Amino acid sequence: MTEEINKEELKQKILEHLAKKPWQVRDLAKVLRVKKKELDKIVQELIAEGKAAYWSSGSTTYVTTKEKLEEMEKKRSGT
Amino acid sequence: MPVVDGVELPETPLLDELEKGPWPSFVKEIKKTAIEQEKAMKAGKKIKLPGAAKGLLKVLELAYKDKRTHWKHGGIVSVIGYGGGVIGRYCDLEDQIPEVWHFHTIRINMPAGWFYTTKALRTICDVWEKWGSGLTNFHGSTGDIILLGTRTEYLQPCANALAYADQLYGGVPFDIGGSGSDLRTPSACMGPALCEFACYDTLKACYEFTMRYQNELHRPMWPYKFKIKCSGCPNDCVAAKARSDFAIIGTWKDEIQIDQEAVREYAKVIDIEEHVVKKCPTKAISWDGKELKINNRECIRCMHCINVLPKALKPGKERGATILIGGKAPFVDGAIIGWVAVPFIPENELIEKCCEMLEAIWEWWDEEGKFRERVGELIWRKGMDEFLKVINQKADVRMVYAPRNNPFIFWRELNE
Amino acid sequence: MVAQEVEKEPEETLQPKTDFGPPHYEIMLHPVVKKNYGKWAYHEAVRPGVIKRVAESGDVIYTVRFGTPRLLSIYTVREICEIADKYCDGYLRFTSRHNVEFILTDPDKIEPLIKEVQEKLGFPCGGTRDTTNAKYCLSNIIHTQGWVHCHTPATDASGIVKSVMDELYDYFTDYKLPAQCRISLACCANMCGAVHASDISIVGVHRKVPKIDDDAVRRTCEIPSTVAACPTGALKPDMKRKTVVLDKDKCMYCGNCYTMCPGMPIFDPDNDGVAILVAGKVSDARYPPQLSKVVVPWIGNNPPRWPEVVQTIKKILETWATHAEKYERIAEWVHRIGWERFFELTGLEFTEKLIDDYKRTPYIYASYRTSAAFRW
Ligand code: HEM
Ligand code: HEM
Ligand code: HEM
Ligand code: HEM
Ligand code: SF4
Ligand code: SF4
Ligand code: SF4
Ligand code: SF4
Repeated sequence: MTEEINKEELKQKILEHLAKKPWQVRDLAKVLRVKKKELDKIVQELIAEGKAAYWSSGSTTYVTTKEKLEEMEKKRSGT
Repeated sequence: MPVVDGVELPETPLLDELEKGPWPSFVKEIKKTAIEQEKAMKAGKKIKLPGAAKGLLKVLELAYKDKRTHWKHGGIVSVIGYGGGVIGRYCDLEDQIPEVWHFHTIRINMPAGWFYTTKALRTICDVWEKWGSGLTNFHGSTGDIILLGTRTEYLQPCANALAYADQLYGGVPFDIGGSGSDLRTPSACMGPALCEFACYDTLKACYEFTMRYQNELHRPMWPYKFKIKCSGCPNDCVAAKARSDFAIIGTWKDEIQIDQEAVREYAKVIDIEEHVVKKCPTKAISWDGKELKINNRECIRCMHCINVLPKALKPGKERGATILIGGKAPFVDGAIIGWVAVPFIPENELIEKCCEMLEAIWEWWDEEGKFRERVGELIWRKGMDEFLKVINQKADVRMVYAPRNNPFIFWRELNE
Repeated sequence: MVAQEVEKEPEETLQPKTDFGPPHYEIMLHPVVKKNYGKWAYHEAVRPGVIKRVAESGDVIYTVRFGTPRLLSIYTVREICEIADKYCDGYLRFTSRHNVEFILTDPDKIEPLIKEVQEKLGFPCGGTRDTTNAKYCLSNIIHTQGWVHCHTPATDASGIVKSVMDELYDYFTDYKLPAQCRISLACCANMCGAVHASDISIVGVHRKVPKIDDDAVRRTCEIPSTVAACPTGALKPDMKRKTVVLDKDKCMYCGNCYTMCPGMPIFDPDNDGVAILVAGKVSDARYPPQLSKVVVPWIGNNPPRWPEVVQTIKKILETWATHAEKYERIAEWVHRIGWERFFELTGLEFTEKLIDDYKRTPYIYASYRTSAAFRW
């Protein structure tokens, strides 16, 4: 039970961070002091829920929020 | 404006120069696409992006004029469930050339060994005629089929069209390949399908890895990219040693098989001494005009003699593969040709052993690797001794050309 | 009439399907290939582009290789399919170097196939070798996207490849080389094509640091991720001005920051161009794999046909082909004659730019000579 709550809290925290800039999961794991593997799983869940999204430089991949992604792509596409 | 077959093309004086000359012209390919796609649309076909090829002609002509690219990066990967396989691209001239304002590519996982039926190729054509620019690369340098240029809103339908190609197009379904910090689409030489030198089944190995690691291929979570390539022998026709983090190179341990009669046949047309004996790097071969002898203790299995006399010589019967680790392009810490991690794995254990090792390497690298650090660079940073522990291998003199030339050994176990 | 709802295509309403993987290779194999899988006995070069493969069962397959421009129209791919249906029962393959190979069983169909491909598609037949007789064709140039699709190229890819191959056309269609020679091109130092182990490589190089457009940085960029993207630590945030500052001495002109931030373009028409590298190889035959070495630090972009690049490549190729022994690839040839002779024979200039000073590479000093044994 408590675990569920913690997870929801963590998810919230993750989303707050992701809303600021695109992150490498490993860096975010360090900042949030969680195991990268755990964070991987939670991030996957957030992506499946449609809240987070991948962003790729072509060679490396970042994670961000869905809104942030749309905002970034809008800026890039130039209008 | 030039008009071809009733289709107007933009003026491209610079690109037109690249239609001249005997080598097949990519400019002709782009123009052909522009013309045929417009004709197909007029004939009533459903086409979402008419004019994309025309747009590309305009952008490219400007690039040639300005001597610079007119593309901007986009980070979009919007195929549901996946984190790679799409390269986002926008044009910086969106008001001048709106046709290619969005011009994302999709990477499609090719069949192992790049073998196709025409039915499978036509599937790609039908889907890409409708949902994209009609332009492709056969193939990208990792090996994927590259579909060059579509809009954000067509990415998902295009992926669906390919996934349900059997139902929707009467074709062969295709899945998307890797990009970003994930397992890139593994590739293999044609191996046992057509080549007598293959020391293990490269196509099977490549397919196994691809299927087993679908999650790693589609959902990038690592420090950087990771490539697996399978070559059936040390000729390395897919350049695995240079182009993959994990290169699987077929080889053998016992004697080269010799058919003396066939050697004598060759001796009628070529000078065995000049073409074979003198070129052996270890001087392991002798030829007295009747019999070819190989000193297999000296032979380093470089393939030269077998390449020259394919009818007469064959790799030995005790076959398997060498694993080389770390190959990569120069970015950032310099280019690496993969070096030996495991000198020999017998063929029947190969796939399982590789999977064990891959999983151990990924776990270690994921834990220890820095952002954008390829496995080879991590080993440079951490040392081979640590890497050997990760893959559970003992040191072997076959891993080096020579032992180290300094005594500054870290005796970690004595200084805990 | 009220705005009608746009009719959705079936593709737009289907549930996405994931992780099903590529088609199985077995369904792609010609029946004769499938039957003799793993049981091939030997092969023979029939003519440039055509290899005869004989199985232990006695079955025979001919592969007929043609060079393609890599960038293909789906309408060309359909024509390829028509030809493959007509001659090869609908089976074909592509090679690791952007060539297409038709798979035939009837030798009488080879010449008509070559004729039809040349007439309909204009693709040349060739690119193979006759190792027994030490006669080699040049194969196709593997290459990347360039101005056709990428955002960081320092040069175009397809245009140079077309220009070089036009000039070296006869080397592709005929056995004119004493050993294998692989040419590759990558349009920037990221080297998507991984051209660092080729006999001859052409690599796009930028020579100037990105131009920071402070206003565009403010509008379009994520400053922290841009700073983090720089592999050499050349970028620092300037919080006050909401932009970034760049340390010119650290920058290696890689363009990674431009990927993250459209406000700092790396391209520079007058200073972009290509470097030329030689003497790499990957196979183990005779001589171990080698990294390519830079022999021309920079040639400016001169589209549409890059004559200076074409002539330099031609000069290197022909000098090598004239002087090399049988089977001797560029790496082996240079090893025999020495770099002194390489520069002398090719007429290329050796300058301080060709001495390694990229200190991030641990093996930097390996290329420094430690003996006084020279060729003069
Ligand atoms: C930091 C280094 C790198 C960056 C930022 C980078 C970025 C990119 C980008 C943006 C593209 C898309 C080009 C396009 O279609 O517009 C691309 C394509 C590609 N990259 Fe890289 N890349 C890097 C290194 C490499 C390396 C080292 C390899 C191979 C060893 C590689 C292999 C590929 C391949 C195979 C493609 C497909 C394009 C083609 O075949 O032309 N990349 N890369
Ligand atoms: C049965 C014999 C062989 C077969 C069937 C075979 C097949 C192939 C094929 C189909 C390719 C792609 C070629 C292209 O498109 O140009 C290739 C590439 C290559 N082959 Fe082989 N090959 C054979 C022997 C050799 C030999 C004898 C060598 C070296 C001495 C060799 C080294 C290579 C290399 C280095 C590449 C290019 C890899 C790259 O740079 O991308 N192969 N081989
Ligand atoms: C076929 C047999 C041989 C092989 C495979 C071989 C291999 C090599 C390799 C891999 C290197 C390093 C080259 C580099 O870093 O680019 C090298 C260097 C060298 N080898 Fe050989 N070698 C062979 C025979 C010889 C022979 C017979 C001699 C002397 C007559 C010789 C003299 C040298 C010298 C002087 C160097 C240093 C060259 C330099 O730094 O420019 N090699 N060899
Ligand atoms: C024609 C073939 C070759 C000849 C004639 C040859 C000759 C020699 C000679 C005379 C030495 C010096 C031995 C000593 O110091 O007592 C040597 C050392 C060596 N050779 Fe070879 N070699 C040949 C092929 C190769 C090959 C194919 C390789 C590896 C690819 C190789 C790697 C080495 C190495 C690593 C050393 C030790 C160099 C050192 O002293 O540090 N050699 N070779
Ligand atoms: S790598 Fe070896 S086995 Fe594979 S195709 Fe090339 S020569 Fe044949
Ligand atoms: S495989 Fe290479 S080393 Fe072995 S005998 Fe043949 S040429 Fe010599
Ligand atoms: S080599 Fe560089 S410029 Fe060329 S496609 Fe790759 S990242 Fe783009
Ligand atoms: S070009 Fe590369 S090295 Fe230079 S500032 Fe940008 S990211 Fe850093």
